[in-house]
Amino acid sequence: MHIEVTQAGEIAVVGPQGDLDMAVADEVKRVLAGLIDKGQSRVVMDLSQVGYIDSSGMGVLVASMKQARAAGGDVRLCTLQEDVRAIFEMTRLIKVMSVHPTRQEALASWR
Amino acid sequence: MTSEAEQLVRLRKWLREELVGHDLPKPEQSNLLLAVGELCANSIQHAYDGRGGQPIHVSVRSSADSLVIEVEDFGKPFDAEQYEGPELDAAPDSGYGLFLVKTIADSLSFDVARERGTKWTIVKYRPGRGPADGKGSGTPRG
Repeated sequence: MHIEVTQAGEIAVVGPQGDLDMAVADEVKRVLAGLIDKGQSRVVMDLSQVGYIDSSGMGVLVASMKQARAAGGDVRLCTLQEDVRAIFEMTRLIKVMSVHPTRQEALASWR
Repeated sequence: MTSEAEQLVRLRKWLREELVGHDLPKPEQSNLLLAVGELCANSIQHAYDGRGGQPIHVSVRSSADSLVIEVEDFGKPFDAEQYEGPELDAAPDSGYGLFLVKTIADSLSFDVARERGTKWTIVKYRPGRGPADGKGSGTPRG
């Protein structure tokens, strides 16, 4: 899976491209854990290029959110496609995670 | 398919094409892709303990009232007594798979009374054709 990581000030913006399923969950987890371990605990996860997510993918996002919050930051989500958003609603994670319509709004939520 | 996580994308491609002709609304097609993917992921992770190269059979049958999807593995059988659903309010970082399948399916059953493995049966009724609509054909027995 291609995972783009860019920097917006102190915030890391992570943009995975493709399906976030069991096959790539560990790879995404390594990228997020690597950022947080290096002190980059403010993360925006741009899901605009993710058309499918399964429970493994969601598990990685929740675990990373907890790791980031424990380090004083957060993993905030933005630009969820309709199908992906529906799964966050089914699992009620939409209420637990910080979810924003656009990348700009997710970045602005830190200010 | 065989029991490698990398096969899941191929499964979804195949299933997406299968579902197109069955006159289901698109959100329900997407949900079924997820539900079947979760059952296959369960087979990979739990029935086969992550061992690759093991068979997982997926079939789709359709009737006027419903769509029936079966997922069958030949590994360790599902143990319902060991299963605990996720505490959603605690936002766990695992355990959502079967919860999602149950949420999506109109009826979910499993059969472990066989030589090996588990056969899962998902039933999804067509809009307006379920038992609650008075037109369905009843709950299947897996």
